[in-house]
Amino acid sequence: MISRLVLGACLVVVMLVAGPATYLYLGSKTSRVTTPPTKPTAATPRAQAFSLPGTIYIAQDGALYSLAAGRFHQLTPEQGWMQPSLAPDGNLLAVKRDRFYSDVYVLSPFGNVIRRVTNNVKPTRFSDISANHWSFYPRLSADGKTLWMAYDRPKYGYDVVLSIWAMPASGTISQGKLWTDAADYAGGDVQPIPVRGGIIYTHYDYGPDLKLVGRLWFTSRAYSAGRPLTDPSEDCRNPSVSPDGTQVAMICTHEKQLSYLTIASWNGSSLGPRTTLISDQMVAQPVWAPDGSGIAYLAPSVGSGPFQLWFLPRAAYAPVPTPAPTPTPGGPHNGPLPSPTPQPAVVVKPIQVTTNNGFDATSPIAWRG
Amino acid sequence: VLSSVAGGLSYFLPAAQIALDSTGQVIRVPTPSPTDLLTSPSPSAAPSPSPVTGAFTVLLLGSDDDSKFFSEHVLTQSMILVRVVPATKQVTMLSIPRDLYVHLSPGGYGKIDGAYSYGGPGAAIATVQQDFGVHIDDYIWIGLLGLVKLIDAIGGIDVVTSQPVLDDYYPADIYGGFAYDYERVAVLGGPQHLDGIHAMQYVRSRHGDLQSDFGRSQRQQQVLQAIRQKANQVSPEDLPALSKALSGELKTSIGLSRVAALLPLAASLNNPDSIRQVVLLPPYTHGGGPGGSVTANWSLILPLVHSIFPG
Repeated sequence: MISRLVLGACLVVVMLVAGPATYLYLGSKTSRVTTPPTKPTAATPRAQAFSLPGTIYIAQDGALYSLAAGRFHQLTPEQGWMQPSLAPDGNLLAVKRDRFYSDVYVLSPFGNVIRRVTNNVKPTRFSDISANHWSFYPRLSADGKTLWMAYDRPKYGYDVVLSIWAMPASGTISQGKLWTDAADYAGGDVQPIPVRGGIIYTHYDYGPDLKLVGRLWFTSRAYSAGRPLTDPSEDCRNPSVSPDGTQVAMICTHEKQLSYLTIASWNGSSLGPRTTLISDQMVAQPVWAPDGSGIAYLAPSVGSGPFQLWFLPRAAYAPVPTPAPTPTPGGPHNGPLPSPTPQPAVVVKPIQVTTNNGFDATSPIAWRG
Repeated sequence: VLSSVAGGLSYFLPAAQIALDSTGQVIRVPTPSPTDLLTSPSPSAAPSPSPVTGAFTVLLLGSDDDSKFFSEHVLTQSMILVRVVPATKQVTMLSIPRDLYVHLSPGGYGKIDGAYSYGGPGAAIATVQQDFGVHIDDYIWIGLLGLVKLIDAIGGIDVVTSQPVLDDYYPADIYGGFAYDYERVAVLGGPQHLDGIHAMQYVRSRHGDLQSDFGRSQRQQQVLQAIRQKANQVSPEDLPALSKALSGELKTSIGLSRVAALLPLAASLNNPDSIRQVVLLPPYTHGGGPGGSVTANWSLILPLVHSIFPG
C-alpha cells in the first residue's frame, strides 16, 4: 500500500515537473539571433586567442575600446562614442554622437576627454532642431595641424548632405574651409583620408542608372571638382591607405547587398587594377596593420549578425617570393641565376578575432603600431 | 507524456493564437461597377491565375499606423508586389509609388495609398489588380511599429545602406507624442547592422533623397531582402517571441499551413542575382499630377508589369 502511494506521488511529481521542464527546454532552444552582443571586455572566449600587433581602437554600442596584446580595455562609457582615429601626438580623435548632433573630441589614449573640438549643438535661442549639425569621420593631417571631417554644412531646407571640411585642429569651425561640393540629395562626401597632395574620400552621387552609389574621389584643392578614382558600377566606399602609401583598401558592393574587400595600388593620382580579397562576407571598415602584416576588418560571423573583428594576413594578397637559390661555389651552374618566382598560390583564410561582440560597422577602426 | 505535451502546447499556444489571429485573413475584394471600369484611365485587364506552376504573387503593404489616422483607415505608404517562382527560385519585387494617381477600386480617383484607407486590404488589392492587370494571390500588411519590432525580434539585420540618409524633418510619431512632430536622423552609409528603429529610419526617410518616394522604395526592397536573409537563422522555438512582437501589427491572407509550407522556400531564396528589383522611376511615371500625385505612363508600365507578372 505504501509502495503504491510512493509510486503515485512520484508520478505526480514527474507530471508536475515534465510540463514546466518541457516549457523551459523549448525556451532554451531559441536561436541565438536575438542574443545581444557581449561587451568586448566580457567576451568569451576572449580575444587573446589571436593577438594582433599594436593597439586597435574600435567602437561598440557607443563606447570606445582598445585591443592590445589580445585584451580589450573599455576607454569610454557607452555615451555615443564612435569613429576613433589617431592623432600624431599619441592621442585619439573620436566622435561623440548625441540624439540630434555630434561633435569631435580629442581623447587621451586611455579615453579621457582632453578637448571638445567642435560645438554642433544648436544655440538655445533657436527652437528649430535643424540648427544642430553633424560631424563625422574626423582625421588629422600628418602634422596634426589640420582636422578633416564630414560636416553637414551648407544645407538647404530638406537637402542635408555631408561635405568635407578642413579646420585648424586647435581652432573652431568658423576658421574652417569647405573642401568639397557634395551632390545634392545624395548623402554627401564622407570618410576623408589625408594623403600626400590632397585627400581621398567617398563621394555619394547618382549613377547612370539613377541608383545612389559611392565612389572613391580625390581632390587636391579646396572646392575643386577633383576626380573620381572608381567607377559608379563598382559602388565603393570606406577607403583605407596602406602604411607605405602605395595601396588603398576599400569596400565595393557593385550595387548589391554584398560588400567585397578590394585593394588597388595607389600612385598618388590614380588607382591600379582591383584585387578582390573577400567576396563571401559583408565586409566593412578595412584598416591596414601598421606593420604591414595584414588587413583587419569588420564582418558578421555567419551570414547575418552583429559585426565581429577579422584579420586577413598579408600572405592572402602578397605572395611570398621563394628565396633565390644560393650559388654553390664550384658548382655546375656558372651562368645568371634564375629570378625568384612566387610560390604557388596558397589559400590563406581570414582569421576571426572575436566571436560574440557587435562592433559599430559605421566606425572606422584605428590601428596604432 | 501528457504533461510534456501540455508544456509544449503552453509554450507555443500564445504564438499559435496570435498566428491564427493574424493569418488567413479573408480578402473582401470589392467589385467595381461597370461604369467605374469604363472610366478607368488605365486598362483593366482581367486578372487570371498565374499559369506558372506554383508561382504566386503577394502584395506587401506597409502603413504609417500612427496617431494621424484611425486604426482601420491608414494609408499604405509602401506597396510592393512580390512574385515568387519556386521552380526557378526567382523573386521579382515591384514597388508601386504611393502617390501614383489611379482609379481606386472603391470608386473615384486618387493616390493609390488611399485605397486601403477606403476599403482595407481588399480595396488595395482590387485597385492594384484592376490598374496593373495582375493577379494577386495574397497580401501581407505590416504597421510601422510592427516592422521595428519584427527586426528587433530577429536580432537586427545587416544592410549595405546605399548612402548616408540625413533628414532634419523625420517624423517623430512612432512612440506617441505629437503626431506631427519631427526629429533629426542620420543613418550613415555602407555595410552595417541595423536595429529596428534605425532600419525604420533608413526605409522611411525621404526628404534627403532626390528621388523621394522612389529612393525610399529602393531602400525598402534592400531591407526586405535583409529580413528574409536573417529569418533563415530563426528557429521554430523563436516563434513565441516573434509572434508577441508582431501581435496586432501584422495581417495576412496567407493561411497558417501555407506559411509553414513557404518557410523552406524562403530559406532557399539565397541567390542575390535571382532577386529582381523594379522601381517605377521616370519615364514610367512623372510628377505634376493632381494634389502632388505621380502620374503613370501606362503605355510603358503595363508591358513591363505583364512581362514580369505574367497572368
